Amino acid sequence: MPVSSDPLIWIAAFYTIAATSYAFRDNILFKFSENTYIGAAAGHAIVMGIKNIRDYGWAHIMKGEMIYWVVFVLGVMLYFRFHRQYYWLYRYPIAFLVGNGVGISIRAAIHSDFIKQIIETAKPLTGATAFDTFNNIIIFIGVITALSHFIFTYEGMHKGTLGWMPKVGRWMILLALGASFGNTIMTRFGQYQGRILFLLRDWLGIVA
Amino acid sequence: MSAWEKLTALPREIVLGLVLIAMILPTLKPLGLPLMVGTMAKDWYDTVDALPSGSVVLFDIGFGSGGYPSLGPATIAALHQMFEKDLKIILMATALEGSMMYPLIMNKVKPEENYGAVYGEDYVFLGYIAGGQTAMAGVLGDLHAIVSTEYTGKPIDQIPLLKGVEGAEDISLVAYITTSGDTSEGWVYQAYSAYGKDVVGGMLSMMTTSMKPYYDSGQLKGLLDGVKGAADMEFLTRHPGDAIKSSDVLSFSQTLVLIFIIVGNISYWGVKTSEKEGR
Repeated sequence: MPVSSDPLIWIAAFYTIAATSYAFRDNILFKFSENTYIGAAAGHAIVMGIKNIRDYGWAHIMKGEMIYWVVFVLGVMLYFRFHRQYYWLYRYPIAFLVGNGVGISIRAAIHSDFIKQIIETAKPLTGATAFDTFNNIIIFIGVITALSHFIFTYEGMHKGTLGWMPKVGRWMILLALGASFGNTIMTRFGQYQGRILFLLRDWLGIVA
Repeated sequence: MSAWEKLTALPREIVLGLVLIAMILPTLKPLGLPLMVGTMAKDWYDTVDALPSGSVVLFDIGFGSGGYPSLGPATIAALHQMFEKDLKIILMATALEGSMMYPLIMNKVKPEENYGAVYGEDYVFLGYIAGGQTAMAGVLGDLHAIVSTEYTGKPIDQIPLLKGVEGAEDISLVAYITTSGDTSEGWVYQAYSAYGKDVVGGMLSMMTTSMKPYYDSGQLKGLLDGVKGAADMEFLTRHPGDAIKSSDVLSFSQTLVLIFIIVGNISYWGVKTSEKEGR
């Protein structure tokens, strides 16, 4: 495959190399790519913001749904935070946003994060296979010991005969963090591999 | 400076240079390492496969350009399976850049060319909908009250696919692929917990550890774990793409990282031992 003749591919290749060059050392090419990205992302965000106001607000008003005027007024009130005298007015839309957001998420979070997780953790230790049983035992020990690590109101939990539990709990937490860190490395490599493939295939045409 | 100390202070340019070589070499000459399909991706595939033809799927493109290399291939493979199954797909974006990813993805899936799908009848893109969980709750609660036009500006009342879709009760499956933890949990909260809908999720590998409890407790019917999940889906759907090509590279480069970790630890203990001996 020949080297790409598409100018857009060349621009993308330039920015990929320029952005990655920071891994080796900070330089002017990286700064240029960083600033271009910030500018483009900010521009895009403004356009999408205006589009949202038009599509999800103004369009409804034009259909005669007058309740959307309330949303518009609340939105304008957010800007009062820049006004010296009437800055307190911005607290009303913030209160609305926080209350609405918490109300929407908490109704389901209790079911998903508490009830379902407790049911899943409190199941019998014996599983369908030996591997399932092993997993269940690990989860049981992990949950109990990790929870004990965060009991700070009872001093005896961290000293004496019970002292081993929070220590095991700490190891469990560290193992979980290690797994998470390993996955993070995998994510970053996966993302960069996509760009390597782009450079070698779409730009240079070296690989099929 | 002793040999151990030199090893611990290896310049990052050398480390990164070696990693770069470890990524480029297998890309140029693939090793053909075996791919073992994971159960999480198989569950996603089976959940979609079990849907009757004509079922409505709500699909969220919850990532932008930064997440595209990891999650683009998974989205492409997942959409291939859905179009092959003749499902009706309502696409939306909870990520600001999601609407920029849509044409990139569809240029690879080519629904009209490959599956004879018709825009508006078999699939539609609603564009970016702001608001996170509020948007999710709104779309599932009363789609027509929240969204007035699809991405190109056409009123949704004129979209044949959306005429019979009012909200969650008309949707058989919610699928999302995202770089955001909030979005990932949000769909579980709003689609599974609030409406009891089947949900399948794809995400970056670094999010998998925090989302796996939802999969283990049956709240997520399937899970695509970054590039690995994408490679599994490409294999299962028989649409090999960038993820399968990347699998070799990831195995090779991550082995190098393991070697670095081992070398780093050995040299650390070497320095400590030589310091003790020096005293």
